[in-house]
Amino acid sequence: MKAMKRLLAAVLAVAMVFAFAACGGGNNSNDGGTTSDNTTTGSKVLNVMIEIEVATLDPQIATDGTSFEVIANFTDGLMQMDENGVPVEAIAESYEISDDQMTYTFHLREDAVWSNGTPVTADDFIFGWQRAVDPAVASEYSYLFSDIGQIKNAAEIIAGEKDVTELGVSAPDDHTLVVELNVPVSYFLSLMYFPTFYPVNREFYESTGGEGKYATSADTLLSNGAFVMESYEPAAMNFSLVKNPDYYDADKVQLEGLNYQVIKDSQQALMSYQNGTLDVVKLSGDQVEQVQDDPEFSVHGAGYLWYLTMNVHDVPELANLNLRMAFTHAVDREAIVKNVVKDGSLATYTAVPPQFATSPVDGSDFAADQEMFSEYCSYDLEKATEYFEAAKAELGKDTFEFDLICEDQTETQRVATVIKEQLEQALPGVTMNIVVETKKQRLDDIQSGNYEVCLTRWGPDYADPMTYLGMWITDNNNNYGRWSNAEYDQIIADCTTGQYVSDAAARWEALYDAEEIIMREAVIVPVYTKADACMIKSNVDGIEFHPIALNRVYKNATKG
Amino acid sequence: MRRFQFSVFKINESGVSVKKYILNRILISIATLLAILLVLFILMQLMPGSPFNDEKLDDEQRAVLYEKYGLDDPVIVQFGRYVWNMIRGDLGVSYNISRNTPITQLIQNRLPISLAIGGYAVLLGAVVGLILGIISALMRGTFVDSLCTIISVIGIAVPSYVFALALSYYFGFKLQWFPMLYDSSQAFNSSVMPAISLGMFTMASIARFTRSEMLEVLDSEYILLAESKGISGASLIFRHALRNTLIPIITVLAPLIVDLMTGSLVVEKIFSIPGVGSLLVTAIQSNDYNVIIALSFIYSAMYIGIMLVVDILYGIIDPRIRLAKDGGK
Amino acid sequence: MAKKSKEKELVTTPAVTWENYEYQDDDFVLRGNTVDTKTDSNFASQSYWKDVRVRFFAKKSAVISLICIIIFTLLAILGPMMTDYTYSKQNLEEQNLAPRIPGLENLGIFDGDETISTTTGSKTVNRYEEMGLDDTYYWFGSDTLGRDIWTRVWSGTQVSLIIAAVSTVINIVIGMVYGLISGYFGGVVDTIMQRISEVFNGIPRLVIVILLMLVFEPGLMTIIIALILTEWIKMSRITRAEVLKFKEQEFVLASKTLGAKSMFIIFKNILPNMIGPVITQLMLSIPTAIYTEAFLSFVGLGIPQPRCSLGSLISDAFNCFMTHPYQILPPLIVMSLLMLCFNLLADGLRDALDPKMKEM
Repeated sequence: MKAMKRLLAAVLAVAMVFAFAACGGGNNSNDGGTTSDNTTTGSKVLNVMIEIEVATLDPQIATDGTSFEVIANFTDGLMQMDENGVPVEAIAESYEISDDQMTYTFHLREDAVWSNGTPVTADDFIFGWQRAVDPAVASEYSYLFSDIGQIKNAAEIIAGEKDVTELGVSAPDDHTLVVELNVPVSYFLSLMYFPTFYPVNREFYESTGGEGKYATSADTLLSNGAFVMESYEPAAMNFSLVKNPDYYDADKVQLEGLNYQVIKDSQQALMSYQNGTLDVVKLSGDQVEQVQDDPEFSVHGAGYLWYLTMNVHDVPELANLNLRMAFTHAVDREAIVKNVVKDGSLATYTAVPPQFATSPVDGSDFAADQEMFSEYCSYDLEKATEYFEAAKAELGKDTFEFDLICEDQTETQRVATVIKEQLEQALPGVTMNIVVETKKQRLDDIQSGNYEVCLTRWGPDYADPMTYLGMWITDNNNNYGRWSNAEYDQIIADCTTGQYVSDAAARWEALYDAEEIIMREAVIVPVYTKADACMIKSNVDGIEFHPIALNRVYKNATKG
Repeated sequence: MRRFQFSVFKINESGVSVKKYILNRILISIATLLAILLVLFILMQLMPGSPFNDEKLDDEQRAVLYEKYGLDDPVIVQFGRYVWNMIRGDLGVSYNISRNTPITQLIQNRLPISLAIGGYAVLLGAVVGLILGIISALMRGTFVDSLCTIISVIGIAVPSYVFALALSYYFGFKLQWFPMLYDSSQAFNSSVMPAISLGMFTMASIARFTRSEMLEVLDSEYILLAESKGISGASLIFRHALRNTLIPIITVLAPLIVDLMTGSLVVEKIFSIPGVGSLLVTAIQSNDYNVIIALSFIYSAMYIGIMLVVDILYGIIDPRIRLAKDGGK
Repeated sequence: MAKKSKEKELVTTPAVTWENYEYQDDDFVLRGNTVDTKTDSNFASQSYWKDVRVRFFAKKSAVISLICIIIFTLLAILGPMMTDYTYSKQNLEEQNLAPRIPGLENLGIFDGDETISTTTGSKTVNRYEEMGLDDTYYWFGSDTLGRDIWTRVWSGTQVSLIIAAVSTVINIVIGMVYGLISGYFGGVVDTIMQRISEVFNGIPRLVIVILLMLVFEPGLMTIIIALILTEWIKMSRITRAEVLKFKEQEFVLASKTLGAKSMFIIFKNILPNMIGPVITQLMLSIPTAIYTEAFLSFVGLGIPQPRCSLGSLISDAFNCFMTHPYQILPPLIVMSLLMLCFNLLADGLRDALDPKMKEM
């Protein structure tokens, strides 16, 4: 009996520690200061946190930022991004653009090799690109070759009308790649660092067994980039890469390797960072309060624009311009970014978010001037009331009730809740009911027009405002509100395939005209441009952050 | 109701009908599993959205993807194909979580990790729960008893994710006893905290159940008899009371093992464990049909398997159950 | 050790035996519980319900639990009315304020002070003072959107209790009907019905709940439906087991022999005898419902904003567990206490209703 009592005491003690821990968590405060490195002292291996598992390491199948980031660590494309996001040569040593801007000739460097020793040749690119447009592969990003990249025959191949071998890309010799376009594409070079355009070695791909086998382990993928995959399995929670000694630019790579760790809970992430397990972590807005005075804290633009889309086509009330105008003037974006999102995101008043598209003329940010359309979009309760009164008069009703769809993520739900409150306070008579859906479900609903109002997002695919403005043309799949305007369609057509394609400056101006139409018509209510709140150890330097394609590039990073 | 008592002889007495009973139960279990599979297929059809539903995808591309993965076939064709492939050991490929990766490859390394942590959690929960339950039954009505009750209710009421984070903060971050994130190179060490947070619920349930079972056993005539025969102390508790308490606990333990899944979804997320629990939630949220079906099916099979074992054990131990279940007489 | 003596005395009356008794016509007429039924007045002088009451009130923990549940229910109704805030009213400027209660603030507790541990050291702040909010009191603090936690906790309790009560009552009705039919009629009916419930039971409950939440629009009704669909099986099993037990017993046999119809046996003979396990299961289902709802909230499929439940409050506050731990405590404590009370109440009721009954 005595022994049993002792055991009981021990059990109770443990249980009470848990209970106490549950109650007191976070109140304790001796965990200050920067941390004691206990696992990675002196090593030049960078420990990086990612929020979700890598979906795939197959460059033509990948669609998400995390996969892109990892693929880019071990694969180089024709071009790469410099620290400012400008395309510079990578596997391509040099390139020529024909006078009509419809033929690109890339000269590949001869010292680029795959990690199995075979040289990187033009055929590797052709094979990769043909996979991307092959209906059998069914790459989700194939439209980068057709609609966006305008590569010859790409659209027909995707539609199954032509064979993949007819793609407008050829290799006069092993180290020359010629690409033919349908029309001039001003941003074509910036597509070249997008992983969908990365090369795949044909022989090796076939030797692994192809689809479902290729790129599922360290043994079934090849590297031609700064790092080589050391250990990996599908949907791994952690995996590592080591420096590639055969990389043509190996002299410049300072890191000895990269360790990736998936952490889905940001509080765990911060603790792991503090005890030295991780060098780079991403935090949630709630945690910014904890770290804002820390010199290791930094904010990096993530490119995503969060906006409200309204079903203009099917909901008669939302077809009313004054009501939409009332909405866009009633949202207090500053309060949302300052008090709700809190991670350094930017309040946004333009249809094209800032920080990703720079002018071909003077390099300025397309959306630098957030007050450009303040006449159509601002936080102004008086104007909101005016528009609302006009809308009520035109529609002949005083109360409006809409379902506001949002995703099941914490931050999105909070923003939606605040927007609901702001609209209801500013426009008495409006009721917004929040409907939470998973991402797949939300997309299904808005793409099929089965919604009223939805808080949704869009991330840029390439460094041109067209990645946003192209969405709102008539019948576009992502024109969720099914808004339609002939003038707008015409401007966009002129910019993609029409009169402006070879005149960059005029095209730039035309894009502003297009954006103005979107804002004047209040097609969407832009809310904020997402940023990532990060902690990076002070001994780490040179990580390049980009809002498009490759969110983080480690090639030039240093540690120690 | 009478208590079940272990008796080796009964197995021999009715050997033939035990075989028949077991065979019968196995056949029924297989039929049930097939039915579950069909229900899962129908549920998948009802699920809104599709695995290929991305901002960047348009209708034509989606049609291409549907055709490629055979999702445009009628449900019954898909079902037939699935069962046929399953018999050959092919569970299909993932659509979203890890595109084109065969499910078997995806889960072969993850399932053992989840099972191991679940196993530790059950072991811990059952042992500690038993001890707590016995102690509080023996010290019924005292302060210790109330304390045990409070502990077990905290175990039931506090969500496992709160436990997980609290543990992680104190034992992982502050004291650095255990790794905060799962590390496959020290699998056991990194399983300790997840197993504790998972096992809390099991522990609490077992403790409560043991207490009430134990009390009832202690009140029964045969304990009275044993006592009057002069058997006392540890011998009475362990040889007589505990043994009879344990048997019904097997029945509650079985569903509790499956309930661990609820917790594992959350705990795996917090400790970054490469297990199957977190995979299931992600799969459901991203409409990754094959992963959902495969994992749900594995869980169902585990559940039915456990139930089958328990039933058979019971049937062997106590023929009355077999008779009652057989004919419903 | 408590000893319970079981009184089962055999009464022997030698005057009339079955051998010399002459049967009368009205000896074997089915009467049911009608007025002219003769009962053993000695035994029945203590009515069953009075017995239950006595046994129930003898158990302190159960009584205290009952009182607590009543208090919580009252607070769930009245709590939100006790402040000027509403559960949805946001004040983004006044977000994340620590608890402050008038009166108590002078004692050094609940004075709005908060210690935040940051990576550069910890600091104690009083945001009320910083912002000059002298007359503002958030009794339990305010949340990340500047909503009053006191109000939200009690309206969350309200929602959780409604979900639990409605789903439990409905699943008990469904489960009982199912179990009764299956158990009473037996044979093929039973086999088919048991297989169906086995299939339902075999699919992990979580998968069903999450899928249902996706198929229907998330909301109070959907959560209730999801809970009903997964919880009735337990009830039906208990009912079936009880029916099987009673159906073979002598008093039912007697009723049957006297020509009682199925309905009569089910409603008059079997149902009244099942009340104990049913009420116990009811009490145990409530915490399960609250718990399942809390899990759904964690996955992001709980009750939609701005409405809240205890579960959604906990999972919301979980996100700032490290920064503002006071936000998670009120819902967590209320939920734990509710669970504790319902469990203890169930224990007490079980002992009171059927002292011989075994745990289900």
